[in-house]
Amino acid sequence: MNVVELNNVDQMYAGGVLALSDVSVSIEAGQVVGLVGENGAGKTTLMRIAMGMLGPRRGTVRLFGLDPRRDAVGVKRRIGYVSEDQILPPFLRVDRVIDLHRSLFPTWDDALARRLAERFKISPKAKIRTLSKGQARQVALLCAVAHRPELLLLDEPAGGLDPAARREFLETSIRLLNEAGTAILFSSHYLTDVERMADRLVMLHDGRVLIDSDLDTLRESYSLALLPANGTVSRDRLLALGGCLGVRERSEGLRALFALAPGETSELLAETVGIGDAPCHRIGLEEMFIELVGGQA
Amino acid sequence: MQLFIAPGDELPIYRQIMRQITDAIAGGRLGPGEKLASQRDLAEQLVVSPLTVKKAYDELEREGLIRTERGRGTFVAERAAVDPERQRQHLRAGARRLLSRARLSGVSLAEVIALLHEVEAELGLAPAGDGLGSTGGFGSGGGDGPPAPLSDHPFDQPHDQEEPES
Repeated sequence: MNVVELNNVDQMYAGGVLALSDVSVSIEAGQVVGLVGENGAGKTTLMRIAMGMLGPRRGTVRLFGLDPRRDAVGVKRRIGYVSEDQILPPFLRVDRVIDLHRSLFPTWDDALARRLAERFKISPKAKIRTLSKGQARQVALLCAVAHRPELLLLDEPAGGLDPAARREFLETSIRLLNEAGTAILFSSHYLTDVERMADRLVMLHDGRVLIDSDLDTLRESYSLALLPANGTVSRDRLLALGGCLGVRERSEGLRALFALAPGETSELLAETVGIGDAPCHRIGLEEMFIELVGGQA
Repeated sequence: MQLFIAPGDELPIYRQIMRQITDAIAGGRLGPGEKLASQRDLAEQLVVSPLTVKKAYDELEREGLIRTERGRGTFVAERAAVDPERQRQHLRAGARRLLSRARLSGVSLAEVIALLHEVEAELGLAPAGDGLGSTGGFGSGGGDGPPAPLSDHPFDQPHDQEEPES
C-alpha cells in the first residue's frame, strides 16, 4: 500500500484561480520525493492537502489508505510536518514545546527526542524566542520526528537556513529514514539538496505535474540541444517532436529540452529537422528547472 | 575508505559512488575481500537517500566487482568476475573520445599508447600481460594481475585527486 496516494486532485485559491489541476502523485514507503516548482506552482497546497489541512475540490486523497479529512487524528499521528513558516510559541520554553508534542503522540520516543536535543545542542530551558532561526527549525524537526512518523512532510524546511544548518537538517532526516523507513516528501528551492536527497522528482508548474520521474533517469535520459537562431527550425516545429519538453528562444539561439539521452537527441534532430551537428548536453537539475519553466508554451 | 560526492555534477550521484569504488578497486586501495561500508552508513556519511546507495551497490554487484552476503555485509569480490562484453563497450566509448581528442591536438596513435603506459605506471597497475593489445582475452586473461580500470569514462576525466584515507 502506498503511503501517499493523490488521484486527479484539483484545488482552487480563493478567487477561483486553479492552485492544483488534475494532480496525481503517489509515494511508497521509504521513498524520498523532492517536490520542486516556482513560487506559486502549488507545492504548499499539495502538502496541505496531503496533511488534510485542505480538502481537494475534486479527486481523492489517501494516506496509509485513509482519508486525512475523515481520519484526521489517526492520519496526523503517523505524519511529521515541518514548514518554513511554522511558528512555535515564542514565549514557551523548548522543553514545554516538546512536552506539548509528546502529549499528542502515543508513539513518542523519549530516547530519540533526547538524542536529537543533545545533537542539536539546544538548551531545554531556553525560550523559543531566544533561539536562532536554525535552532528553532531544529526544534520543529525534533517535534516532527520524535514520534517516528511513517511519512515526513517537509515544506521548504531549509528556507532561510545557512548551509551548515541545512546540511544538519538533511542528515537528521536521512538518519530517521534509515532507522524507521520513513517516507519523505520535501519541497525545496535548493536543487542541490533535492539532487542529494531525493530518489524521485516531482515538478509542478501552474498547478500541474510537469515531471514525475526517478531522479537518475532524469539525469541520464534528458538532454539540452542548442540550435541555431537563423530560422532553420522553428520553436513550434521542435515542440511537435516526440520527446521535446520545452523550447526557450534566446538571442543566441534556441534551447530545446528533450526526454532523450544526448545521442538520441542528436539522431532525432538529424532525422527530423536535418540538423546533424547541434550540440546536445546532459544537464543538471538547476538548468533543467530553468529550461523547463522558461520553455513552456 | 571515504567517498566524496558532488550534486550538480554531470554524473548522477549513484554513478559517482560507483566510479569512486571502481577506481579504488582498480587502484588497489580496496583489496579483494575487503568490507565496504553498509548501505545505511554510506547513506548517512554522504547525506544521500539510502535508495541511491542501494542502486550503486546493486550495479557494482551486477558488474561483478562486489558481492553482498546476507547478514554479513558487502565485500570486494575475490576475483572481479566482470562481464567482458559490457566492459569492452565501456572501454570502446572511452577509446573513441580519447582518440578523437588526440587527433584534434595532432597526437599520434603511438604517442597515445605511450601515454597509456605512463598512466598505467602512475596508477600503480602492474602490466596485465598483453591484455590491451590482443583481442578476445578481456577479463579472463589477467587472472594474476589486478583488474584493469573499469570506470565509465576511463579516459575522459582522469582522477588525479586521491581520496583521503579514512
